[in-house]
Amino acid sequence: MTSPALEARNLFKSYDEGQIEALRGVDLSIVTGEYVAITGPSGSGKSTLLHMLGGLDSPTTGEVRFRNVILGSAIDLDTYRSRNVGFIFQAFHLMPTLRAIENVQVPMLALKPCSFDRAARARDLLKEMGLENRMEQYPNQLSAGERQRVAIARALANNPDILLADEPTGNLDSVNSGKIMEILIGIQQKRGMTLIVVTHENEIAHAAARQVRIRDGKVEA
Amino acid sequence: MAAQLSFIGFVRKNLWRRRLRTLLTLCGIGMAIGAFVGLVGFSNAFEQSWLRLYTSSGTDIAIIQQTFLNTSLPESATAKVAALPTVAQATPMIYNVMDLTPEVNALVYGWKADSYEFESLQLLSGRPFHDGQSEVMLGELLSGSLHKKTGDTLEIQGSPFKVVAIYHGGSALETGAVIMPLDQLQQLSSLQGKVSTIHVRLRPAPAGEAPDEYLKRAQAQIEAALPGLRAVPAAERAGNNQFVRLAHASAWGTSSIALLIGILGIANTMAMSVFERTREIGILRALGWKRGQIMILIQLEASVLGLGGGFLGIAVGWGALQLLAALPQTAGIVSATFPMALVAEALGISILAGLIAGAIPAWRGAQLSPVEALRHD
Repeated sequence: MTSPALEARNLFKSYDEGQIEALRGVDLSIVTGEYVAITGPSGSGKSTLLHMLGGLDSPTTGEVRFRNVILGSAIDLDTYRSRNVGFIFQAFHLMPTLRAIENVQVPMLALKPCSFDRAARARDLLKEMGLENRMEQYPNQLSAGERQRVAIARALANNPDILLADEPTGNLDSVNSGKIMEILIGIQQKRGMTLIVVTHENEIAHAAARQVRIRDGKVEA
Repeated sequence: MAAQLSFIGFVRKNLWRRRLRTLLTLCGIGMAIGAFVGLVGFSNAFEQSWLRLYTSSGTDIAIIQQTFLNTSLPESATAKVAALPTVAQATPMIYNVMDLTPEVNALVYGWKADSYEFESLQLLSGRPFHDGQSEVMLGELLSGSLHKKTGDTLEIQGSPFKVVAIYHGGSALETGAVIMPLDQLQQLSSLQGKVSTIHVRLRPAPAGEAPDEYLKRAQAQIEAALPGLRAVPAAERAGNNQFVRLAHASAWGTSSIALLIGILGIANTMAMSVFERTREIGILRALGWKRGQIMILIQLEASVLGLGGGFLGIAVGWGALQLLAALPQTAGIVSATFPMALVAEALGISILAGLIAGAIPAWRGAQLSPVEALRHD
């Protein structure tokens, strides 16, 4: 049996001193190399779950395990995010003052601040994204699709085990959406990475090996 | 060739993003450091002038009162000092600052006509004064300011004094001063029988005795002979007299206020920058940057601002000192040379100012929760 890459055990997350319960006892196990789509209506808690799985936030109660190690105990969240996880956001979140090739190097600065091969690695990743002629452009000089491809290259910078994408096609037209999903699935298959995508879009969800539907902070059966 | 992103490169781009604000902040801290360099440079030069005053005359020890505020001691102590075996010569003197005209005030020295201090002066015209006579000698700088020459009369506190000589001195504190007979200044200052200090030249140290040890022995000998008085080595006295202390205190006091304003300027800039970049800090945290790395980034930005302001300030301070060195009123006191120690001090202070100013914004930036920061508009 394949060991789980990520596990959520009885995950609760509340805000405003318990008045808002975003997650209410989520149990979830995702095996290494799996492509999982998390779906659900707005406000159902799917992004909150993604944040917990990515170590961006801590649960109120319950635990998230990465390779059977509880996040925040044996492995601190900063280290987990820099070494094991790559994030892709709906709004791209590129640094406006940095060129594409520099944006891709930002996560590498966290992990290998003294390394000299960051630019070469960033160049290779951008080539893989088909952006070999757009490396020197600033984000405002790139199209939305190109920005998201830079963001994907950035997510891959530290060669993570898991890719987490929060509505990665939410700001894209259908043509670019298709391209981005093709790239993400290609990366997942080629590298054997675990891919977890939060999405509203049925087409993307159906392409996943497994769909997890969240409603009112719980996983629907 | 693809660009390699470095921490410093990232810092530079962040600062350059708001060019006007960065430049204004640089100007603020630059002015503060400029004030520091100018004022402290001036007070240091003033101290050096005092040191030259002692070294040019060959004074080894100055005898003063033990307490800071009491500056008068009995003139009769001079004879007791002169009789000591380590002492070659002892000469009493008074110094005071007096208004010579509504615009010009100057140091006024009272010396004995046989004082060894005359050896350091070069007479440009006239002759030395005589004790008991209403005569004065003017330093060349002061004679120029007062438009007086040998043979003219100078009125000091309502009494006429004949200018008997114009001289060039070893220190600016002499070239911009008046020297008159001790008894005349005692009378003017109502200090009959009193002097400000007694300057002492020591005999050469005996063979086999280290100069420092000899100086200490002479000090002890003088203090034993004159209970209640202090024998201070000239170098120490140069940096420790009331005028120099006042100059240092004024320089550091004014500079501190300017630096505080400069620090607040950087702190404001960094606080604004952190607030505006809340979401970007959230992105960095999401990408695995540790709190410490966020702090380093913000502190580096603040330090670069401080350092940049430091260089600007050094240029401003250097310019101010060059100007003072060229002005007739201050030319003798301020040297056009720029001590590297002051440059290093200014750079150290400017980096420290940046670090202090950046501390709270850096801490606040590092404390941001990644999720909250990402939601920030």
